[in-house]
Amino acid sequence: MAEYFVSRGLPVPQELTRNPLTQWRRLLVIGASVAVVYLGLRVTNLDFSRANPEHAASVIRELFNWDFRILTPQNEFETWWDTAEGQMVVTILLGVIATAFSLVIALPLSFLGARNVMAGNPITAGIYIVVRLIFTIVRSIDVLIVVIISSVLLGIGSAAGVVGLAFHNVGVLGKLYSEAIEGIDPGPLEAITATGANRLQVIWTAVIPQIVNPYISFTIYRLDANVRLAPILGLVGGGGIGILLFQSINLLQYGAAGLIIFMIVVTVAAMDFASAQIRKRLL
Amino acid sequence: MEAVLEIRDLVKVYPSGTRAVDGVSLDIQRGEFVVLIGLSGSGKSSLLRCINRLVEPTSGRIVFDSADVTRASGPELRRIRRRIGMIFQQFNLVRRTSVLSNTLAGRLGYRTTWRTIVGRPSPDDVIAAFENLGRVGIADKAYARADALSGGQQQRVGIARALMQHPELMLADEPVASLDPATSHSVMKYLEEINKKDGITVICSLHFLSLARRYGTRVIALKGGKVAFDGKPADIDERRFKEIYGEDAIEVEIGPVRDDDPTRIEARTRELAADSTTAAAKLNIPDR
Repeated sequence: MAEYFVSRGLPVPQELTRNPLTQWRRLLVIGASVAVVYLGLRVTNLDFSRANPEHAASVIRELFNWDFRILTPQNEFETWWDTAEGQMVVTILLGVIATAFSLVIALPLSFLGARNVMAGNPITAGIYIVVRLIFTIVRSIDVLIVVIISSVLLGIGSAAGVVGLAFHNVGVLGKLYSEAIEGIDPGPLEAITATGANRLQVIWTAVIPQIVNPYISFTIYRLDANVRLAPILGLVGGGGIGILLFQSINLLQYGAAGLIIFMIVVTVAAMDFASAQIRKRLL
Repeated sequence: MEAVLEIRDLVKVYPSGTRAVDGVSLDIQRGEFVVLIGLSGSGKSSLLRCINRLVEPTSGRIVFDSADVTRASGPELRRIRRRIGMIFQQFNLVRRTSVLSNTLAGRLGYRTTWRTIVGRPSPDDVIAAFENLGRVGIADKAYARADALSGGQQQRVGIARALMQHPELMLADEPVASLDPATSHSVMKYLEEINKKDGITVICSLHFLSLARRYGTRVIALKGGKVAFDGKPADIDERRFKEIYGEDAIEVEIGPVRDDDPTRIEARTRELAADSTTAAAKLNIPDR
């Protein structure tokens, strides 16, 4: 085969001469991966000896033996909002409010974090770098960590959950929004500038129409993610149905816990489906 | 004749070190149809964009109707820009919005920011938009989304948008380079019409010498950012052509419609105009 290229004075393709098995770089990568997994198993010392198959089986059975009492108020002090479905609604709204807060903050900041809007002058370029750096730092702290800290600062409850969730989302939405602005077609900007329009008019006429759909799409995507995150906020002191779930597991009420988990699954699946449908129609 | 545009020793050096425009001095007289020719990268686009400061000149002076463009800034620069219309090779319409709002964007230089954001366009502007769309034969497309139009139609929206500015000078940056030959001629016809009927000075960069000969009253050739030829279209002979485009260049004609076949262009232009008159009648646009 190589003769074909040699006889015509052409360079021989590397694919012909190379044997993938003798390439030491590939072998090194495979060897290193295996070594890391092996080391990890040794160091973490996974211990399954305390697992009790019989107990596990009974818990799993209990998880499906749903306790429907949590769906109605159990005493005179409870209202509908204290029931599991009431708390589920509260949880969804936590996600919605957190998205709304982060949207309001990220929207104006996203313009300051878009390179094409801020380029041209050293001061605005400096602001661009600072804003994008803030987005990155904020984004790199996981929601659960932020909520743990905010529940210390603001006290355990819904406020801590919303603030923690919103804080993290400013970083995510800010980055997504800024990149949507950076991805627009520069032609209309040039054309609108040429008509004698000022900077704000250019943004309003040429930038906004191009970013509305991506913005809505990203917002719905984050709304979906926030509603999915909201149920676990209760586990770290962020309010919502997570508290109920955590309590029932601690009180060994696996029937209640199983029903709550099922409700969360249904809600998240419905959200996921709805968000995918809306986003598909937008694009 | 008075000069509407004076360019003196204009230089544009990009940060990469490219000298795109290298000491160009020109006087453009009112009412001229100037065609800029030259190879890709010869500085045509940079020169055009320096005139309305979409590109910042490195040095030199540009005076438009006794206003110093190179020294203007802020509101003064925007007041100059609104008197200079511009159309682009890629049309540069806001694709997601309607043809009408794209056309109305041509009035932005005359409106306050506040009005742009909260206000509706004034009835006068809307009527003017329909008239200008009618002139270029696409009044019936006013409510269509800009990206639903063909290339030729989009370019005509670009012309209508520029006409909304009541420009005294029209810059056209390779307006027909993305269009087929027949459509190219129909777009050039509209530019010729606004030049002859409205007396708007046109500076248009083109790739095809045949179009330059057919529509230009003056041809300026750029080579390496310098003026290589400035004169009547008819004066470009074989030797000059090779000077501008290099020894190996062969002149190609833009076909199949040529100026020896004007009937087809006329017919197409009439067809488009007829469409717009009926559309305008349907929409109740006053005929001025």
